Amino acid sequence: MGDGDRVKKTIRFVLNGEKRAVDVAPQETLLETLRERLGVKSPKCGCDRGDCGTCTVMIDGRSVRSCLVLGVEVDGAVVTTLEGIMENGELSPLQQAFLDRNSFQCGFCAPGMIMSATELLARNEKPTREEVQEGLAGNLCRCTGYSPIIDAVLETAGVVSKGGSDERS
Amino acid sequence: MPITHSFDYQKPGTLREALALLARKNAVALAGGTDLIGYLKEELVSPELLVDLKGLKELKRIEHRGGALHIGALVTFAEVIDSKVIGKKLPVLAEISKKVASVGIRNRATLVGNLCSAVPCLDTGPILVAMDALVLVKGKKGSRKIPAEKWFIAPRKTARKPGELVTGISIPLPRGKAAACYLKLGRYRGEDLAQASVFVSIEQSSRGAKARNFRVAFGSVGPVPCRARKIEKALAAGGALIDMVALTKLVPAEISPISDIRASKEYRLHMCQVMLERALAAADGRLNGTGPAYGASLL
Amino acid sequence: MSGHKFIGKSVVRVDGKAKLTGAAAFVDDLEFGPGLLHAVIIESPHAYAKIKKIDFAKALGVEGVVKVVTGKEFPYRFGLYMHDRYVFAQDHVRFVGEQVAAVIARTPAVAKEAARLVKVEYEVLKPVLDVETALEEDARLIHPELGNYHHVPWFFPKKDTNIAHLRKVRKGDAEQGFREADHVFDDTYMVPRYAHCSIETHGAIGLFDHSRRLTVWAASQSPHTQRHLFAEALAPLGLKHKDVRVIAPSVGGGFGGKAGVSMEILAAALATTVQGSPVKVHWTREQEFYNTYQRQGVVAKMRVGVKNDGTITALEQKLYWDAGAYVEYGANVVNAAGLSASGPYRIPNVHIDSVCVYTNLPPGGPYRGFGYSEFLFGLESHFNEVAKKLGIDPVEFRRKNAICTGDVLNYGGKMNPSGLLECIDKVAREIDWGKRRVSDDPRKAIGKGFALFWKAPAMPPNASSTAFLKFNEDGSLNILVSAMEIGQGFLTVMAQIAAEVLSVPPEKIRVETPDTDRNPYEWQTVASHITWGTGNAVKKAAIDAREQIFDIVSSALGQPRESLYLDDEQVRSRSDAGFGLPLRDFVINGIMMKDGTFRGGPIIGRGMFMPEFASALSDPETSQGGKPNVHYTVGASAIEIEVDRETGRITIPKVVLGVDCGKVLNPDLLKGQVTGGMVQGLATVLYEDMRFDGKGRLLNPNFTDYKIPTALDTPEEIVSIFVEHEQPDGPFGARGVGEHTMIPAAPIIANAIEDALGIRIRSMPITAEKIALAIRDS
Repeated sequence: MGDGDRVKKTIRFVLNGEKRAVDVAPQETLLETLRERLGVKSPKCGCDRGDCGTCTVMIDGRSVRSCLVLGVEVDGAVVTTLEGIMENGELSPLQQAFLDRNSFQCGFCAPGMIMSATELLARNEKPTREEVQEGLAGNLCRCTGYSPIIDAVLETAGVVSKGGSDERS
Repeated sequence: MPITHSFDYQKPGTLREALALLARKNAVALAGGTDLIGYLKEELVSPELLVDLKGLKELKRIEHRGGALHIGALVTFAEVIDSKVIGKKLPVLAEISKKVASVGIRNRATLVGNLCSAVPCLDTGPILVAMDALVLVKGKKGSRKIPAEKWFIAPRKTARKPGELVTGISIPLPRGKAAACYLKLGRYRGEDLAQASVFVSIEQSSRGAKARNFRVAFGSVGPVPCRARKIEKALAAGGALIDMVALTKLVPAEISPISDIRASKEYRLHMCQVMLERALAAADGRLNGTGPAYGASLL
Repeated sequence: MSGHKFIGKSVVRVDGKAKLTGAAAFVDDLEFGPGLLHAVIIESPHAYAKIKKIDFAKALGVEGVVKVVTGKEFPYRFGLYMHDRYVFAQDHVRFVGEQVAAVIARTPAVAKEAARLVKVEYEVLKPVLDVETALEEDARLIHPELGNYHHVPWFFPKKDTNIAHLRKVRKGDAEQGFREADHVFDDTYMVPRYAHCSIETHGAIGLFDHSRRLTVWAASQSPHTQRHLFAEALAPLGLKHKDVRVIAPSVGGGFGGKAGVSMEILAAALATTVQGSPVKVHWTREQEFYNTYQRQGVVAKMRVGVKNDGTITALEQKLYWDAGAYVEYGANVVNAAGLSASGPYRIPNVHIDSVCVYTNLPPGGPYRGFGYSEFLFGLESHFNEVAKKLGIDPVEFRRKNAICTGDVLNYGGKMNPSGLLECIDKVAREIDWGKRRVSDDPRKAIGKGFALFWKAPAMPPNASSTAFLKFNEDGSLNILVSAMEIGQGFLTVMAQIAAEVLSVPPEKIRVETPDTDRNPYEWQTVASHITWGTGNAVKKAAIDAREQIFDIVSSALGQPRESLYLDDEQVRSRSDAGFGLPLRDFVINGIMMKDGTFRGGPIIGRGMFMPEFASALSDPETSQGGKPNVHYTVGASAIEIEVDRETGRITIPKVVLGVDCGKVLNPDLLKGQVTGGMVQGLATVLYEDMRFDGKGRLLNPNFTDYKIPTALDTPEEIVSIFVEHEQPDGPFGARGVGEHTMIPAAPIIANAIEDALGIRIRSMPITAEKIALAIRDS
């Protein structure tokens, strides 16, 4: 990162299932640590003030805005990003639903949105539409108008019927 | 844009260590960070030391004890929403918490952090001021309990002295049956800072179901949360009858809204009147079991 | 008509998996190694000022700073349709936030710190912050050199004024039309500026390597146009087009904002000052708000003449556009709107003045809808008022005056085939027009609003698309185009088009974002014309490949050429049921003859589409005689709203949009445009509210105070209705739809509010506050 003159702290944490140790400067955000130091690019910087949700990752199973967390704060924690959602390279059922429904367009909000949706379903197996809207309200999307994303979350929860791409027209 | 200001970071394991670190010059406490990190980026603060409180597990407690709800400084809005104790004893606090920002912010942001920010639009202000809550503060010289109304001094200014740490809050609970409502004016249903807010609590007095105690406070329509004592008095005098026409006329005297890019003072005043009526109706209904569920959208 | 295997199906997006897994790389994700330099821009705090001195000695002295650059290094004007813009401000700054200088350093933090040390001395001038002031007799000229600016032949700047362009439309005789009318109704409507708010901000990295070859990686809708503008702007450095390369990664939304060249010029120019090192310029969200294109504001003064039976006899529109400090792109918005500001109506006498006015505010530019949303708010609101005054049902009024195939357009051309009446009927039926619901909540009023809409692509008459198509050893294929995937899903639709022609399923077709070195030319991804233009090019390329395939198979294997067809990735013959040659057997390797020699070889298809019937030449005083628009896409839209009379808040149980897309190529993706576009449109009328202070500074350059909808703010139900009146020159009959879905949003809301409350609001945004206070005051 080219900041050799800053005093650093060593943090040890689990990132996407792997034990990591890395030296961070106190003033770097978790978002910067992930993207610039560790090459984890799925969390994005959309506003840098916690308004847009594109930087969303999970700390100990809870979604957070990584642009408002310092890297040093995750010492001892378990951090998960979109890259860690898949198992053995397979899409999670939620990701599969998004794929089949063509839910996303430009895809920039997708990593953050998927993290929030994953947390939502982990904590609430059968959410109502309103609960899904609430759970995703912190992730801004400009392209889709949200309904195909909400539909896919409800489908994954088994609340709406599966609508594969061939059947719908 | 990176934070260019350099500072040290320490994470103490005990309250004693924390207080010693905070006594240092230019030391600042870090809890949820959703305000502080933002301030650092905007260069509104330039501390030399950040003291991370998240190692202090004793600040995580939510307890019902001695007729009051005790909430530790590290309790997040998400934890308030999940808390069974709060759901049972003071469900309106969960209602308020659900209106703060969004899930990803609530998972980190703390109630105490919110009241320490003392921004005029803060969501925790009205309930704390209305319910005569106490802010529990510890310093090297000992502890203090500061009544909420004395806590908020001016925008972004509280009664906390340098080196002092807020360890939690305590909210005295009504003795009898009670219900409450918090309404918040935003520009839409999504995440927004309050342009105006109303907190209303109705408690059945021990003197019988007919006599009731009212607590009313407005937020974001004055430099600090506004306890609406004139309105409370008029409500108490009215007994079972709520005369909204008369109450509406009292609102302008209780608040001092401004016009800014979020809303005009005319609309803020108008909405305080509308929200007061709806909050009273909701609290009244909740008190006799016919009201909307806590968290329902009433605006 | 049907019987298509891939066309008309909701094929899964070819880029879906990449976007869902984090594999998709956006410009900020690209790595350039430890040699990457970072630029921070020094911006003007004033809306209008003379630059007297720039002192950067201190900044240059900071360790880690490599260079400080000012306008002195780049005294060249550039621009898309007019050359009125600079890389860095020269003698004057013209809007708050305009780039004045740049610090290039080894880390972003050093660049940020050093930038603080650059001292600029200004002589502050009184800014011109609104159209009225800009048009005063003795108004200060924002561009005194306007008379010398290069521009496209269809612009008409008025030198020695702040009028950058005036588009005049004179069809028939408006005065006569008003005389013939039974009633003449006037009104004025106001639409402010808006921000695109793509979730990804602008960003670009430039590298001028030691062989003096410039490469720019940019989040761009227009890689080839950018390459052209970079080469033009930097021509004094001796750059040729072949030495300029633009690579576009995945783009996180554009909506027009990433078209043309705005901040990307900085990456290109700065790269030339630090030869051998890549330099990155990345916009913060604040810069995204105040220093990228904005949607221009407009004041629309209109006059309509009607007969008692509702027939429109004449329309006069005066559109005054707040176009900002530089109008190299925005002037075309004014132009396009001017040509079409009658809406999709049959009006014999039309008089339009569309005036592009310079102001000391951020530059206006392309935004989804390109001027049509802006004028439609006033037009459709006004027509509703007119219908009401005549006692005619608003939908009936529109049916009566709707433009039909063959009707004369404002500039003299003829209206293309369109299903406008079908859209009107279907939308009216879907929204249950004519039936009034009453809420059981006495505080709520329910109303319905209706509007028509249209738009034609606004492009130069020679805007072109090209495509290469190449097979791989396993029979899969790659399509190389330079149109940009900005979310709309065009990559997938190109795969579907090629799939249909070549019988290779879309999952075996790769289409990706371009590199101008490798991918053939595309003008820009704007104007809702890619499905049509690039789709045509891809179809031609696929047909070209197919023809080569048939040529080779018939000559090598003796199969009668006319009997050959493709099915299921094989060449088959109608005259020989047993014949089936898999494509993969020969599309790279050729066909082996009995003697061991080979015929054929790698199959490469090529396609080019450029309309040969469009022309921008017309009478400058009347716009008659030109054919500036290739065709119009039309439609109708309706909404039902519930308004809370106390709070002013609106909830939307249902919104319907019917559009004639010619041919539905991919239902999912098309619906995605309707849902996304309509929500974006509703946001402009209900929530988005740009606030400038008295000195021209944007007060809410962030999402905290410029509100775009969240998942909680969507209508309960959005119904899409697709009508298919084929576009004769479109691929499989398709025409574009991307922008149209947001265009009717503002007037349907305004009309529904009038229906519910009897209150007509004539300025946007129509916030809850505006409604509540209007109710209170009425």
